[in-house]
Amino acid sequence: MSNTIIVGMADYKIGRTPDKLMTAGLGSCIGVCIYDLHEGAAGLAHIMLPSSNGNHAGNPAKYADTCLEMMLEDLCKLGLRKSRLKAKMAGGAQMFSFKGRTPQLKIGERNAEAVERELKKHGIPLLAADVGGTFGRTINFDIKTGELHIRTINHGEKVI
Amino acid sequence: MKISAMRLEALKEIGNIGTGNAATSLSALLQTRVSMEVPKVWLVSIEELEKALGELEAIRVALYLKVEGEAPGKAVFVFPPSSAEAIVQTLLRTPDPPDIFTNELAQSALQEVGNIMVSSFVVALSQFSGVRLQPSVPALGIDMVGAMIDSILLEEGEIDDNVLIIDTKLSGLEGVQGSFLYIPESGSLDKLLGVFGI
Repeated sequence: MSNTIIVGMADYKIGRTPDKLMTAGLGSCIGVCIYDLHEGAAGLAHIMLPSSNGNHAGNPAKYADTCLEMMLEDLCKLGLRKSRLKAKMAGGAQMFSFKGRTPQLKIGERNAEAVERELKKHGIPLLAADVGGTFGRTINFDIKTGELHIRTINHGEKVI
Repeated sequence: MKISAMRLEALKEIGNIGTGNAATSLSALLQTRVSMEVPKVWLVSIEELEKALGELEAIRVALYLKVEGEAPGKAVFVFPPSSAEAIVQTLLRTPDPPDIFTNELAQSALQEVGNIMVSSFVVALSQFSGVRLQPSVPALGIDMVGAMIDSILLEEGEIDDNVLIIDTKLSGLEGVQGSFLYIPESGSLDKLLGVFGI
């Protein structure tokens, strides 16, 4: 039986084949999965902000840098080799725009850049990404196949 | 962020006064009775937000306005698409419910509803607390509620581990219901609550 492990905001979870990992309602947040198909294990993180800026108070899982570090550590504890890990991500939308105003901080875009940067830092290839736009996403990662299913309300479904 | 029991009570009162005024203006706009529940004050960790919002993936309409001035915050009126259709149908007196996803007239009518409600909310709050506030132009979203609320909370690029939301449920017309949320910035509390002397 395959279970679906649900990942909440500012959290990450690790799973093994045949489980699936899912996180719902990503707006400017990013869902990033890091996996090893051969070992049949993966982690999915729901990241809210780009960088902890060395701020260690509060929940470290909300920031791209600290969250990925923790998740990688947990994956390596399972015996996975960092050099064999791959990644996929989705989210990073800009949900609202105010007429006549340019958004001060494009948090969605900055989140996507930060995740990309952190993955590069750890030497993990980003195989696919579906980021940006103005709509929310719910994502479901199949640990067995490495497929990331993306569901939206008005912008269809896709698999990356 | 920690908030005393007394402050939580005072925040409920702010919800009562502000949302009460917003409900009255919605009621005048729709020419029907709009009733309001006792406000709830959520002080929840971001991981627990789901409890306050319900299912993150549920489709909702959100009218979002920033409240600017001496005690900034964010006001969001969140309701199901069916309620949005009923509201627009009443306002525009159309025989059929409009498609709120594509109909621009319907969308601008909804934004106007947001304008009127949040303006009344802000007027009540200003009069009551003596703090100068003004609402921004409205932004409309029709999407997954979790996606919209996370973007609203994260807009400034920072979020406390605990989020404070004053949540008041409104209902009126046939089956029309929604939540009026007010999210004060943490620095605004002292100003808003100053009038209570706490």
